[in-house]
Amino acid sequence: MTATDPTTDAGLVDELLVDSAYRLFAGMCSFEAVQKAEADGWAPAIWDAVAEAGFAWIGVPDTAGGSGGTLADACAVLLAAGTHAAPIPLAETGILGGWLLAGAGLTLPDGPVSVVPGAAGDSLSATLNGDGSVTLAGTAVRVPWARRADRIAALVSTADGPRVVSIPGGSGSVRAGTNLAGEPRDDVDLTGVTVGADSVGVPAADATADNLRLRGALSRVMLMAGALEAMSKLTVEYTEQRQQFGRPVARFQAVQQHLVWGAQDAAITKMAAQVAARDASRNFEAATFQIASARTIAEGCASTATRWAHQAHGAMGMTQEYALHHLSRRLWSWRQEWATPNEWAMRVGRMAEAGGADDLFALITG
Amino acid sequence: MAMRFTPTEMTPAERALQAEVREFLAAEMPPGSSPDRALGMGAGKNKEFSKKLAERGWVGMAMPKRYGGHDRNAVDRFIVVEELLRAGAPIGYHWVADRQTASVILKFGTDEQKERFIPPICRGELGFSIGMSEPDSGSDLASVSTRATRAEGGWLLNGTKIWTSGAHENDWFIVLCRTSPMEDGNKHQGLSQLLVDLNSPGLEKNGIPFLDGSPGFNEVVFHDVFVPDENVVGELGMGWAQNTAEMAYERGGPDRWLSAYGVVEELMRHHAGTPLEDRVAEVLGWATARFFGLHNMSFTVARMIDTGQAPSIEAALVKEMGTRFEQDVLLRLLEFVEEEPDPNSLLLYQRLLAKAILTGPSFTIRGGTIEVLRSVASKGLRS
Repeated sequence: MTATDPTTDAGLVDELLVDSAYRLFAGMCSFEAVQKAEADGWAPAIWDAVAEAGFAWIGVPDTAGGSGGTLADACAVLLAAGTHAAPIPLAETGILGGWLLAGAGLTLPDGPVSVVPGAAGDSLSATLNGDGSVTLAGTAVRVPWARRADRIAALVSTADGPRVVSIPGGSGSVRAGTNLAGEPRDDVDLTGVTVGADSVGVPAADATADNLRLRGALSRVMLMAGALEAMSKLTVEYTEQRQQFGRPVARFQAVQQHLVWGAQDAAITKMAAQVAARDASRNFEAATFQIASARTIAEGCASTATRWAHQAHGAMGMTQEYALHHLSRRLWSWRQEWATPNEWAMRVGRMAEAGGADDLFALITG
Repeated sequence: MAMRFTPTEMTPAERALQAEVREFLAAEMPPGSSPDRALGMGAGKNKEFSKKLAERGWVGMAMPKRYGGHDRNAVDRFIVVEELLRAGAPIGYHWVADRQTASVILKFGTDEQKERFIPPICRGELGFSIGMSEPDSGSDLASVSTRATRAEGGWLLNGTKIWTSGAHENDWFIVLCRTSPMEDGNKHQGLSQLLVDLNSPGLEKNGIPFLDGSPGFNEVVFHDVFVPDENVVGELGMGWAQNTAEMAYERGGPDRWLSAYGVVEELMRHHAGTPLEDRVAEVLGWATARFFGLHNMSFTVARMIDTGQAPSIEAALVKEMGTRFEQDVLLRLLEFVEEEPDPNSLLLYQRLLAKAILTGPSFTIRGGTIEVLRSVASKGLRS
């Protein structure tokens, strides 16, 4: 870990680790590899390389079978993954599902983990049995890569309080679905599935449904920040190469507007994301405002920046033969994950309301 | 890509400074009871207030101690300015001198000019105007036609400056003008910056009502105004380079995203005690989140200045987006404000909202249009 310098960097991030993550994703997530992952629903080579490097378990303590490191480290790796549209359940395996399992004292599998996000339409419920096992009912919806996960972590309510359930892959019946980017988002009907007592645990004190949702939101913030940065860069490069009317289209003022606005969307999202990750890593409970604000910013910027990037790319961006869609379709998906309409802006607004006018600026400036 | 926005955070000493300014402002301008609360940098002039700030060491902060300054860095200045702007403090009298003129004189002026001008600026006693725009020169500033011609011991100034803020109340004017004719179409050569006493004989000031009807905007006409040689800033003919160096980093300051902040805060104060409707909470959350993002970007620009990273592209990006945000905030607020805006309303938030709507178009124009900024920023993105 690097030393904490409050004035010049995020302080909690291991820069060497982040550099190697960027290199790995750049090397593995070629245009063809990302295309193929979508067609196949899985990217074994990318997963293996990431697992080999231990990146999937960063932020989960070594003692629980994770790779150690801080939440800020894990977030920085997610940002790198977003930059390269890495088509694997990275957040789910580590800071979401892995975090739930590790906190409940459950074993982390070697393979990918997913998590039940509790998305709209989810009907999963649980009954705790006398022997400590849990019998499930209903359908867990929009579970990332459920069809490929070794384990699916779910935080459920029972008559005896909350439990973390480590559901074995292949349980129940899977209805394969995808998000707009073709990444697996499966519905799993778990009715009648009983999970043994050795795969059921009491969640760690901080593993509340709300904290899981905040972590889910933070994971999407980081991914979006990475994708926005990559999209801005791609758009600047493309418009510099593409010539019309005898000059690069980037020289036209109307196009410059798209470039500048896209760069701003990327910059403010990354700034908010990194501040949120830094503060959440240090004291998660005190970082709700930063996470909710970053999530609000990211959602808006994902919407506007995809518009500017596509407009600047013209017809080239309208095809799947060019890399823009790897980023834009993910942004259109991620902006709606771990969120209901206006949820995060409303949450920030309610926090501002609770503090009142006198404390509004202190809230903004931290 | 040339953008480098690395998050930063305040040291304990910086936090202490922020707390000190907040305490001062809470006493000077108790929340909710300040009838003259302004909208960011468009603040009114209050010489007494400027002096009080100066006594605290919050004017001329970045100036050297030997000229009455305080040798503080860009972050300290950012912290103080951010608090003053968000409170809507009446900083108009010293704002330009403190923010721009003092730096120009320090960087390019003679020792005599530094001795003469910087100490009174640091005491909050000298108000400056900026003489850039002319009737035929706005964004194409290098085309200015105000001309200084040689005279015994100095120059005779002729021409017209326009849209000059505060010329009727300020003491001095820093004027960009042509001191030698344009050669070979190179309009960036032959321009100079002159320090002009706003009460000089032959200097005519004509008020131009601003969009909201307020005074403060002016046309300034020079009829053979004599400017002594000792008032030429820096090198004769190098005015253009000096002028562009002046603004590069200031673009990223908090004045570029806080103009509508007071409206938001006062609207909240007005609604205090009544639970906000969801749609209101959503707009408030959207704005608050953006303020959070912009605060961090602007703060980082200040930190980059202090660490010698020359954040000119970053600053241009912040200004372009910050000023658009200032206008967007007003539109979003109108989604739920039921009362028709009235500049003479009995309610503070209503008066501020009306003023913000009426002066809103200036946010994306003053100090350089966002169209010009986009050109600057997009060049930076390519390099």
